[in-house]
Amino acid sequence: MKGRLTAGQWLLRALVAAMPVLAVLCTIGAGGAAPVWFVVLVAVLGLGWAAYPESAAGVAVLVLVLAWWGIGLRDGLDPWAVPATAAILTAHLAAVVSAYGPAQLPVDPPVARLWVRRGLAVFVPAPLLLLVATWLRGSPEPDGIWVLGLAGAFLAIVAASATFSRGRAAA
Amino acid sequence: MTHWGATAGLSRGLLVAGAGLALAVLFGDAVLVVLMLPLALCGALGLLHRPRTEPRVHSRLAHLSLHEGQGTTSRLVLEDVGDVEAVTRVTGETPYVALRPAVGVTTGLIGPDGTVPDLHVSPRRWGRRVVGEERVGLVTPWAGYRWGPELISGQVMHVLPVTAPFDSRAEMPQPIGLVGAHRSRRVASGTEFSGIRPFQAGDRLRRVNWRVSLRVDVLHVVTTRAEEDSGVLIVVDALADYGISGGIDGEASSLDLTMRAAAALAEHHTRHGDRVGLRVVGAAGQAVGLGAGARHHRVILGTLAAVRPSVPTDPGGHRLNLRVSAGTVVMVLSPMLSDMLTTATAGLVRRGLPVMVIDTLPATTTPGARAGLRPELADLAWRMRRLERDNQLARLASTGCPVVPWRGPGTLDEVLRRLARRAQLPQVASR
Repeated sequence: MKGRLTAGQWLLRALVAAMPVLAVLCTIGAGGAAPVWFVVLVAVLGLGWAAYPESAAGVAVLVLVLAWWGIGLRDGLDPWAVPATAAILTAHLAAVVSAYGPAQLPVDPPVARLWVRRGLAVFVPAPLLLLVATWLRGSPEPDGIWVLGLAGAFLAIVAASATFSRGRAAA
Repeated sequence: MTHWGATAGLSRGLLVAGAGLALAVLFGDAVLVVLMLPLALCGALGLLHRPRTEPRVHSRLAHLSLHEGQGTTSRLVLEDVGDVEAVTRVTGETPYVALRPAVGVTTGLIGPDGTVPDLHVSPRRWGRRVVGEERVGLVTPWAGYRWGPELISGQVMHVLPVTAPFDSRAEMPQPIGLVGAHRSRRVASGTEFSGIRPFQAGDRLRRVNWRVSLRVDVLHVVTTRAEEDSGVLIVVDALADYGISGGIDGEASSLDLTMRAAAALAEHHTRHGDRVGLRVVGAAGQAVGLGAGARHHRVILGTLAAVRPSVPTDPGGHRLNLRVSAGTVVMVLSPMLSDMLTTATAGLVRRGLPVMVIDTLPATTTPGARAGLRPELADLAWRMRRLERDNQLARLASTGCPVVPWRGPGTLDEVLRRLARRAQLPQVASR
């Protein structure tokens, strides 16, 4: 990170640093407070991500947040997942916008508005999915549903990777 | 050559979504699917907008020749950018070039008609400058792929010296041309009244002064002075630049003062119909012959913009031939810290030419001491050099060459009047 940050960049990077911590703290409402060392770890990684929005620290911190929601809580299907999802998405999109250029880049208002609209558009399915999952929670699981889910996820990842590789090969 | 590549945002979105989905399947926890769903959507939409064309980018300056302080636009010309949503432009800092946005970094969405954010540049000092060099990055919709940053080379801009405020109402000492605005010593066809004399064969009837003719009973005619132009040679000392230049907004160095004064003099005399020439005393030794008109004025300004301070590698010993024809008024713009130019100026004065020296050494100039040299020693050396210079200027003035510091309007009025009066006296020129 070189040069002086503009006010817009300060705001974006503050969101990048703070939102993962907020997503972890949302688990308190869901009944599973994260240990302090974990929150500190997420905060440090979040700061690194804010300093270098294109670094792998972003992947690490988001995977840690997901892992805590999955491993730390066990059955975290709770309304607090909605603000946590919003926090994760906000951090991701703030990093995307801040990575448009160097640190001195002023944030273009039309670009910011475009990403706010996009963020809202991709956020809407999350609470709907949570409602459906909560509604189906008591129902017996069909045989092999998770195996099918895993296979589907695996195929999706392979398909995404293939497309991603083609893009790189073309490059 | 630059190509498209996946952005960190796309990789992060896909990796986190994949990890979240795998964890959800492993632990059978649906909340992880909820948490990663927006990121998965962002990644998928980024992949969907994979670019298929290679864009071509180059920048263009709206103006390639400007005066100091004027501004122009650096426009980015994009071709084959159907897949592009946003553009980021990062231009490096160029000495004496102001930018807007001030940091030289801008981003924006590409408009429906292909418009992109402009960068505004404004040169703050005369000279030739490479302007518009920048790095350009393009991003697809949903920021899935990025092209660049690609280095776009700049263009050479000729920054002409700004014309310092200058005006003069004094006559030129030796108008010798054919037509012009200066009152000549010769009596001929003109508008300036010279006298009344008896009618001679060949006089025009419209010159008859009937009031005087009736009074004395003999035809009398009004005589007028001819109006002629003058040859003005501007000699510019580009042997060195003393002082620190802050551009048009800051402190002026000796060469800044010289260039702006030369531009002002050239404009003033060209506007008054005089023939103006230019000699640059320096390594390049540029010269522009005597000429008149707006086009000739632009040639002079262009030559001034190309000046670089440097010492000739072979100045011919200490003799400098300025190639001045008889009757030309010579204006030497110099800080007069070069013996070579002082000698050449004294030589012109001895030839009987009307010469004046316009001192362009800024009053606040301080010595540029080399590293390791004690400041008090450098200061002492500079004071000694200035004393020596004052002595040389006094000796030059004693030979009949006026020395005036550049003050803008009216700088030369008194000097030109004195030279005009002296030109009417009989002289003996040494050869």
